[in-house]
Amino acid sequence: MTNMEQSPVPRSGQWGLVAIAWLLVGVPLLWGVWNTLLKAAALFK
Amino acid sequence: MAGLLSKERIVAGPGFNRWLVPPAALAIHLSIGQAYAFSVFKLPLTKVLGITAPAAGDWKQTELAWIFTIAIVFLGLSAAVFGRWMEHVGPRKSGVVAACCWSLGFFVSAVGIRTHNIWLLYLGYGVLGGCGLGIGYITPVSTLIKWFPDRRGMATGLAIMGFGGGAMIASPLSQVLLDHYRTATSVGVAQSFITLGIIYLVAMLSGAFLCRIPAPGWRPAGWEPPALKDRGLITRHHVHVDRAIRTVPFYLLWTALFLNVTAGIGILEQASPMIQEMFKGMVKPSAAAGFVGLLSLFNMAGRFGWSSLSDRIGRKVTYGVFFTLGPLLYIALPYAGRLRSVELFVICAALIISMYGGGFATVPAYLSDLFGTQYVGAIHGRLLTAWSAAGVAGPVLVNYIREYQIEHGIPATQAYNVTMYLMAGLLVLGFFANLAVRPVPERFFMSDDELARDRGLVGVPGRS
Repeated sequence: MTNMEQSPVPRSGQWGLVAIAWLLVGVPLLWGVWNTLLKAAALFK
Repeated sequence: MAGLLSKERIVAGPGFNRWLVPPAALAIHLSIGQAYAFSVFKLPLTKVLGITAPAAGDWKQTELAWIFTIAIVFLGLSAAVFGRWMEHVGPRKSGVVAACCWSLGFFVSAVGIRTHNIWLLYLGYGVLGGCGLGIGYITPVSTLIKWFPDRRGMATGLAIMGFGGGAMIASPLSQVLLDHYRTATSVGVAQSFITLGIIYLVAMLSGAFLCRIPAPGWRPAGWEPPALKDRGLITRHHVHVDRAIRTVPFYLLWTALFLNVTAGIGILEQASPMIQEMFKGMVKPSAAAGFVGLLSLFNMAGRFGWSSLSDRIGRKVTYGVFFTLGPLLYIALPYAGRLRSVELFVICAALIISMYGGGFATVPAYLSDLFGTQYVGAIHGRLLTAWSAAGVAGPVLVNYIREYQIEHGIPATQAYNVTMYLMAGLLVLGFFANLAVRPVPERFFMSDDELARDRGLVGVPGRS
């Protein structure tokens, strides 16, 4: 580390972008997890 | 276009939110994680000509198995060969190349299915797709480590969790596509491949274009490096990739990863038949499929959970847990079979698989502790050859030992016992490999001049 500059606080607008980005990857992932859980439920029947 | 993809252009400006990088990384890893769901297409691919049942000239399972094997071999090779290039050009360009390779792999394979030419599937999904896997896998890892020096394990765990979770999306999605495209004259695989290729191209390009790298010397607000001196295995220096592969710790970690993956594949490869044969009459095929699903969940959860825990307890201790708990769990599997306890078997297997995933996710942070962050992506790429080797060795070991046992009159319910003990033995070897890991000697560190030259590549004022 040669240059130890601190990062300023992220711009408030970027938190909206962060939320959208997480939703875009999170929703398909949750759909996949839900489908897997439904399949896994057969093991406990 | 070249400028758009250049490393200088993606240096983050002031105020960039680093929490944008994990979803970008996830978009890439969730896409390439489809590889674990390739088996969904195996059965339809054996009926491309016969449609409802395999006909003369249709591909056999043994021919199709090579597609996945080639892809895993090229994953390791491309990660090793292109790792240094990836560090040089940055995550956007390498992400775009990975997206093109991965999608092109699907498109070429679709042509192979249409023309019924298996070699185009080997070239498409195997070689091109394998290169997409390798380059895509390493692309976001070093970027995340640089953005999260305070939580390296958690950050890489988030991305690599995507590789485990990708199959959970791809598996039901592929089934939906196959059902949609299936007609009286087509099994629908070629059309499904084209659709998946387009979806993954968009997702991976979005991830690549969202990715930013921190300016040289950037660190999170309020975070101070723990100590000015090197602390235990954690160095504040950097090792060049070409020098890293001449160090003993690199080969010890290679061995540890190889043994952990080989042992994990022992369960993953045979999960469904294993539980049905060991608990004959107690576990139906539908329940066995549920067992496979449960293992994927633990594979994914282990990637995030173990690597996050490694931020607190250290990488060496985390690997130490894998290699201590792992053998005990492997020995418990045949015991669970003798007790006829499906519950105990499932719990042990799930924990083993969580550690298999955890090994993958913790290793980039382990490497960055030992070798610094400057070339961690390239070093990680070279280490992934251990995965390729294990991808070949693991299934071969499991299948041949099982066949040998059955040929020698061992009942199917006990045919896996020797394999389990062997896997436990491999993990004990891994324990000693991990135990022997020591800090990298100073003579391998990059000098300040070398570092300044390398960092000169990103010395342009940032933009977001």
